Amino acid sequence: MPYLSSEETVKELKRALSNPNIQSDRLRYRNYILRVIRSMTQGLDVSPLFMDMVKASATVDIVQKKLVYLYMCTYASLKPDLALLAINTLRKDCADPNPMVRGLALRNMCNFRMPGMTEYIHQPILTGLKDKASYVRRVAVLGCAKMQSLQPNAEIDATIVNELYGLLRDPDPVVMVNCLRALEEILKHEGGVVINKPIAHHLLNRLKELDSWAQGEVLTFLLRYKPRGEDELFDILSLLDGLLHSSHATVMAATLRLFLQLAAAHPAVQADALEQARGPLLATCGSQSRELRFAGLCHVQQVLRSQPAQLGVHYKRFFCGYSEPAYIKFRKMEILVELVNDENVGLVLEELRGYCTDVSPELAQAAIAAIGRIGRTYSEKCLDILTGLLGLKQEHITSAVVQTFRDLVWLCPQSTAAVCQAVEGCEESLQDSEGKQALLWLLGMHGGQITNAPYVLESHIDGLKTEMSSVVKLELLTAAVRLFLLRPAETQDMLGRLLHYCIEEESDMNVHDRALFCYRLLECGLEETRRVFQGPKSDPCMGVLTGCPTEPVNSWASKFNTLGLLGGNDVVPASSDTAASDQRGHSSQGDALAEAVDEQLSIPEEGQQSPGLSLGALLSHEAFERHWLELCVTHREALGFQGPPSASETLQAALQLVKIQTLAFSRESTKPWKAYLYTHGSGTLILAELLQDESEAGNNSTSLVVSLKQLPENKMAIQEFVSVLRTVLHTLTKDRSC
Amino acid sequence: MIHSLFLINSAADIFLEKHWKSVISRSVCDYFFEAQEKAGEPNNVPPVIRTPHHYLINIYRDKIFFVSVIQTEVPPLFVIEFLHRVAETLQDYFGECSESVIKDNVVIVYELLEEMLDNGFPLATESNILKELIKPPTILRSMVNTITGSSNVGETLPTGQLSTVPWRRAGVKYTNNEAYFDVIEEIDAIIDKSGATVCAEIQGVIDACVKLTGMPDLTLTFMNPRLLDDVSFHPCVRFKRWESERVLSFIPPDGNFRLMSYHVSAQNLVAIPIYVKQNISFFESGSSGRLDITVGPKQTMGKPVEGLVVSIHMPKVVLSVNLTATQGTQKYDTTTKVLVWDIGKLNQQKLPNLKGSLSLQSGSPKPEENPSLDIDLKIQQLAISGVKVSRLDMHGEKYKPFKGVKYITKAGKFQVRT
Repeated sequence: MPYLSSEETVKELKRALSNPNIQSDRLRYRNYILRVIRSMTQGLDVSPLFMDMVKASATVDIVQKKLVYLYMCTYASLKPDLALLAINTLRKDCADPNPMVRGLALRNMCNFRMPGMTEYIHQPILTGLKDKASYVRRVAVLGCAKMQSLQPNAEIDATIVNELYGLLRDPDPVVMVNCLRALEEILKHEGGVVINKPIAHHLLNRLKELDSWAQGEVLTFLLRYKPRGEDELFDILSLLDGLLHSSHATVMAATLRLFLQLAAAHPAVQADALEQARGPLLATCGSQSRELRFAGLCHVQQVLRSQPAQLGVHYKRFFCGYSEPAYIKFRKMEILVELVNDENVGLVLEELRGYCTDVSPELAQAAIAAIGRIGRTYSEKCLDILTGLLGLKQEHITSAVVQTFRDLVWLCPQSTAAVCQAVEGCEESLQDSEGKQALLWLLGMHGGQITNAPYVLESHIDGLKTEMSSVVKLELLTAAVRLFLLRPAETQDMLGRLLHYCIEEESDMNVHDRALFCYRLLECGLEETRRVFQGPKSDPCMGVLTGCPTEPVNSWASKFNTLGLLGGNDVVPASSDTAASDQRGHSSQGDALAEAVDEQLSIPEEGQQSPGLSLGALLSHEAFERHWLELCVTHREALGFQGPPSASETLQAALQLVKIQTLAFSRESTKPWKAYLYTHGSGTLILAELLQDESEAGNNSTSLVVSLKQLPENKMAIQEFVSVLRTVLHTLTKDRSC
Repeated sequence: MIHSLFLINSAADIFLEKHWKSVISRSVCDYFFEAQEKAGEPNNVPPVIRTPHHYLINIYRDKIFFVSVIQTEVPPLFVIEFLHRVAETLQDYFGECSESVIKDNVVIVYELLEEMLDNGFPLATESNILKELIKPPTILRSMVNTITGSSNVGETLPTGQLSTVPWRRAGVKYTNNEAYFDVIEEIDAIIDKSGATVCAEIQGVIDACVKLTGMPDLTLTFMNPRLLDDVSFHPCVRFKRWESERVLSFIPPDGNFRLMSYHVSAQNLVAIPIYVKQNISFFESGSSGRLDITVGPKQTMGKPVEGLVVSIHMPKVVLSVNLTATQGTQKYDTTTKVLVWDIGKLNQQKLPNLKGSLSLQSGSPKPEENPSLDIDLKIQQLAISGVKVSRLDMHGEKYKPFKGVKYITKAGKFQVRT
């Protein structure tokens, strides 16, 4: 076919459509109409043919009718005056003996989106609602909603609303669901359709007849219903039980959401529902469609917030395939980090190491960050891997590794030595400002342990003129001053040059002012500078031990199976802590003072010669940690109990009663299980670690071992502490066995 | 619920749009194009995109993006699953779901979309019911249609929706009564460098094609039902009987449907049908590398492995390959950097081998990452998990149906790392 411009095509079609010869030949006529539709779908404006198309609608041929209706719906709003001509034909069709024609006409009439339509469609819709064919009733019910949306400001027609509530009892399940949908739209401003007890029970009883889409929707509507009592609640839940295993992810997720919300006051029921739905949920994560897999993963992440330990054995399902899209890989890595436990840590790390060399730099960096997150608990293994990655000398990998190192050092001070050793020699392959900042922070904070720190710093100072990022310059100033405090002889000269350059030549006001500030501070004397610049070297909370506490299911249940969960625009690799750590260097400077005050407060308490144990002053996490690292174990003893005696919270409460403070404890089902305790007694401070470790050699392998450290030493106090601890554990164990 | 649907090809052309409520301008897709550009590869476009006034939920299938526009809060799984259903329906109707086919059959596509959704709500999505409303095009029918001028539209309304069994229409009649079941299993596995299984699981489905007169009540029994984890069923299956007796008892829908899907994840149960000995190495100097791959059978239960294809995503620096295969054909696409080795049937006597050299871009460093191998294969007459149907009984009708079960094993996401 020769290419015709749009105008010519329209002209040609118009000629053909009005040709009586063609009109009499049904087949040719339809083919021309088909061509009109084709042109329309290609974006051609064929609205000038409206008159001819209206004529074509008067036919017995259903396909032709459908085509013409399709055309009319598209152009009716452009040509409202001509569309009125078509309405007569449509209204006649609404009374056709064939229910299909009736339904078709009614549906299309409602789809004409033009003002003034209401008066013409009102009557046909009312008739349609009482039609004997369910097909027509379905259309008519939704037509009510369309009519309402044509005149959004008009008052709600109470007769129609009543009619629709009545049709909820329609024998056809689709009509019933359509009624819900229509009512929801019509009553939008009044809070949507009301689900009272009879309606709720009616819906529940008919759930089985519905198709999966309708089931999903009805389950969502049912979220509005609040059962009166426990009996009713459990009746409802047992009706829904089977749907948790539905083959449609939609229905499964909707059911689970309803379960979680209805049973908000019954955590055991919630846990059971999650348990039942775990299989289907995991199956969704392995589904053929990558979009479904993604949605499944997002939901698993939510479940993990409350049940971190239960999914641990399934970690292999979250290994990334080579050809999977990036957004899935990001989610899988986030989940893997959550699932790590003693048994699988080796394999998970091995797997993550593989991702670090991924072609996509973002993925590689996310994988490195993930290893860093695992490193907070299993620092040694992760440090080995990360150090190995530095050997690759790849720019983006090195940068990510150094950033991870910084975060790791901040959270786990015990890894400092290894990091300081590893970080030497990696400065050459650092190009981006994020990586440079991290390296400078490490140099400033731990320059004492990095032998070539002054040289690295010097090379940065020499290259200052070519440095573009002002953030890096600010970090460089801080690092230089800090290093000066640690190694003054080697750094003094370059600090001078740096300050001179920044004060005299720098155009960025921020950098200039910071340099001036440093200079004036140094003038005030070293002590003052030290107090301002040298904050604590690690995070005050022992993130390692507590991990993230498990959240109650109710905190996320309301968001389950909603769009918000899949988080709109893009999947950001977990980099939120990087941003936070940028702030640390500066914000923590003030903390030094507060900490000093803390210590002074606690000393007099310790000095008291009180008999027995006392709660004494609260020990901050970092003070505990400092003592723990300084002291050596004075006493170790197997207590002979099998595992943690009961829920950690109970243990904590019980210990509190006998004046033993619990500082931190691991999650219940993790292995090894640990708890850190302390107390003041007979003038000493006792620190204790409870450890239950199955991997430990010995016959009594699952027994609980207590290790004690003390300041100052006092054998009596230790004996006393151990006996009290035994009594508590004994009581709790007895409680459980009853 | 679903406001509008746009079909977009990988070249970012909108080739079909359908609005169920008011017309939304095409410009809403600009947000999608933006995301598409940012993602680079079409695979990487995130499924949910937030725009100031709408949500765009999309799926990517057969090189087409199905982009739906959402205005109110909806369960995301619902929309994703529905879009897949649309794609499946098109596939079912036209045999494939590609841009050209959709353009050729644009009118039927519109008719289908009109019936599947009304005012944005799913209406009729069962292919049984749709096919009665709109008959799928066949060569014979389109010829008859051209001659007689009859149409693709069913003249009568589907009756099934009012029967007591909603998924089955009443008054079904066949002269040949037959029931076929296909047990299809896909192996998803990752094999590491040394040949050890990193992870493996089997996704299985049982698809049925049942053409039986009247209201038959079928019972399907397995030899070893305990193998199956995570089963999910077509709504017709009586779940209580499965729980108590481990048999599938159901009144089947008419025609093709998926009876159940299951999952075998216990690692020791997943047999890996083939092994791959591979050696891909890049030299420090000389911008070249070597490749040597041999494929052999491992646990095939004596059945031949067919349709074996190995595809390798090479690093970007690999310019060309010089390889010889002892069996099958190999092709290296220099733009996508994918090497495809189509082996065909695995010869047990003389194992297929692919060997030769790779030439890299001169001056570029040796690639960090070794490519991984994606394997595709097919084994007829075998369900690799060992699932077997022992018998099929029919009650409720008098005639004797013709019964058949077919097993087939395929590779799903089967990947070998190097």
